[in-house]
Amino acid sequence: MPPAILVFAIVLILMLAAPTGMAQPSDVRIYPKARESTRLAVADFVARTAVTPRTRTAAKVFNDVLWKDLKFSAFFEMPSKSFYPLKPLRSPQDVSFDHWQAPTLDVDFLAFGNLHVDAAGAMIEGYLYDVKTRQQVLGKRYSVADATLIRRVAHQLADQIVYQLSAGTSQGVASTQITYSSLKSGSKEIYTMDYDGSNVRTVTANQGINKFPDWSGDNSKLAFVTILPGSARWQFWIQSLQGGRNVIPTPTSYVSSPAFSPDGGRIAYSARGRGHSNADIYVRNTDGSGDINISHHPAIDTSPTWSPSSRQIAFISDRTGRPQLWLMDADGSDVRQLVSEGGHCDSPSWAPDGRHIIYSWQAPKRWKHDVYIVEVASGKIFQLTSGTGSNEHPDWSPDGRHIVFQSTRTGSKQLFIMNADGKSRRQITAYGINESPAWSGYLTRP
Amino acid sequence: MNRGFLVTVRFVPCVLLVLAVGSCQKKPPPAVAVDDTPRVAAPAKPEAVMPTIEITAAPSTIERGSQTTLSWKSTDATSVLIDGGVGNVAETGSLVLSPTESTTYTAIARGSGGSARDSTRVTVVPKSVAKLAVTDIEALQRAIDDGRVRPIFFDYDRALLSPKSKQVLEENARWIKRFPAATVIVEGHCDERGSEEYNLALGDRRAQATRDYLLDAGVSPTQLEALSFGEERPFESCHDETCWSKNRRAHFAVKR
Repeated sequence: MPPAILVFAIVLILMLAAPTGMAQPSDVRIYPKARESTRLAVADFVARTAVTPRTRTAAKVFNDVLWKDLKFSAFFEMPSKSFYPLKPLRSPQDVSFDHWQAPTLDVDFLAFGNLHVDAAGAMIEGYLYDVKTRQQVLGKRYSVADATLIRRVAHQLADQIVYQLSAGTSQGVASTQITYSSLKSGSKEIYTMDYDGSNVRTVTANQGINKFPDWSGDNSKLAFVTILPGSARWQFWIQSLQGGRNVIPTPTSYVSSPAFSPDGGRIAYSARGRGHSNADIYVRNTDGSGDINISHHPAIDTSPTWSPSSRQIAFISDRTGRPQLWLMDADGSDVRQLVSEGGHCDSPSWAPDGRHIIYSWQAPKRWKHDVYIVEVASGKIFQLTSGTGSNEHPDWSPDGRHIVFQSTRTGSKQLFIMNADGKSRRQITAYGINESPAWSGYLTRP
Repeated sequence: MNRGFLVTVRFVPCVLLVLAVGSCQKKPPPAVAVDDTPRVAAPAKPEAVMPTIEITAAPSTIERGSQTTLSWKSTDATSVLIDGGVGNVAETGSLVLSPTESTTYTAIARGSGGSARDSTRVTVVPKSVAKLAVTDIEALQRAIDDGRVRPIFFDYDRALLSPKSKQVLEENARWIKRFPAATVIVEGHCDERGSEEYNLALGDRRAQATRDYLLDAGVSPTQLEALSFGEERPFESCHDETCWSKNRRAHFAVKR
């Protein structure tokens, strides 16, 4: 290798290594801690037989989605494809393992495969090899009747790879979805989409204002509040994604921010009782029975979020004058203040590991919100977003490694995803006004 | 209270009807009708002539308690009788009636050549509450559009009513009470600076405070509903205090 190219290569390696080699702020990190040593190569999947325009398009989509999914998972160091050997890898016998162990690459694992697309659908074969032992870790064949499902196959393979290589720490979030409220043509409706912003599906089309959606524990239903055109009250809806809905009766015109308990049996929400002047936190069973006011305080109580054990609820209350973050047991006992920095807190979301809560905070006398994380045990607070615009409404991915939130950093309210340490931010909506995102649980089994 | 009012209204037309019908029956047939008879049966026209008659009611559909005018015109008649509770009448004339039920009025004209008849039907519809309410709804809507019923404004993150707001609400209450059949939706709104969940609850607190004041000012609870829109419906869309101060408000809409 000529010296100039060698130097260039070393500089590149240093540049690539820099982000991971650089010390992260010691108090904010992705948890569970990423396996920093895992280097993964993902070779482009190639056409199994003849290259047709249809195959070329499908391969481009597949390779792009698979790469972004694995990159976003934040489990791997992924050396640039420009270092890869040029020889296409269709099947295991095409792999020269020595090439992948060269110093410029030195990967631990290699993913590759082939695909075939015709009018009848698509067939994809994917492999994952341990480069050091030269053993196959994963071999999968997917077949779909419609080439438009190619993205889903890429997501599933990405999740398989993450699940295998994270030792079960994560099942992968590539197949998960996000629900949100969107104003596109005069009315604010509920939608779902893939975690990366593709595949948008309509949930409501009632021409009203639909807000604050949340997923049920089994991901089959969404709870949200809605005000229908011409109506003078907010309604509490639980809508099945398979069709059909249940309108939960509420005593007054105000109901807000529903949250399913992780154990699936209950739902917490903010409502005002008849004769009361302010919002309280209520809990009822998901079948609608057993409505209980658990906060009972003459202040605004809203935005409940459950601990993963379903034993505690964090919520927002302005009982000290300003909306702050509070904790209580799910029966309303043992109420205590968790964040008391003044300013304006809202939209708390309890992390799947139970140790942290993310929320939005507006400093006193300012009007921009940012996303913060508080450690429940110690009350220590760290800032996750900064820069222009208001950043609000954070929610966790099911593996607790990522956060979805809304931001006005590009002008209008749009949705973004990022790692739990605030890095690798990616915009996932671009049109209309998009707000109050909620991340689903795992939708596929490993 | 409203129910009692309606019952009273329903009794009034019955009394009116009895009076109207009674006075008609007492009135003697006008002399002209009688005096004309010889001319009709004049020797110059020995052959018998068929009488004609025409009767109309205007309006032909009334609300219970309202009036309609029955008009008739006959030729070559010696006597004219209107059944349906009216009785003998002049050859030509009119009568104001207030029937309580739908009634067919048949006028029968008898003359030397025989008799003729004509009918008209007056349809009586129940006094409709909707009809009344539309009037009140429209009137109150006009009061809001003309700025006689005015919105009130709040300080940031507050739902307290200022002395000026209270003054405005006193005036608003007077207007709202004038149109008892209209229901007012008290809408609570916030500026964009707070978070969405908190603002929905804060808008509710503002709407409640406003509604409570109107109740104290004597507005019937049946006329008031309160609803929060949070930061969903700003008046103005700029991002500074000139707009924010206009967006932190309670305003009034007529329920349709």
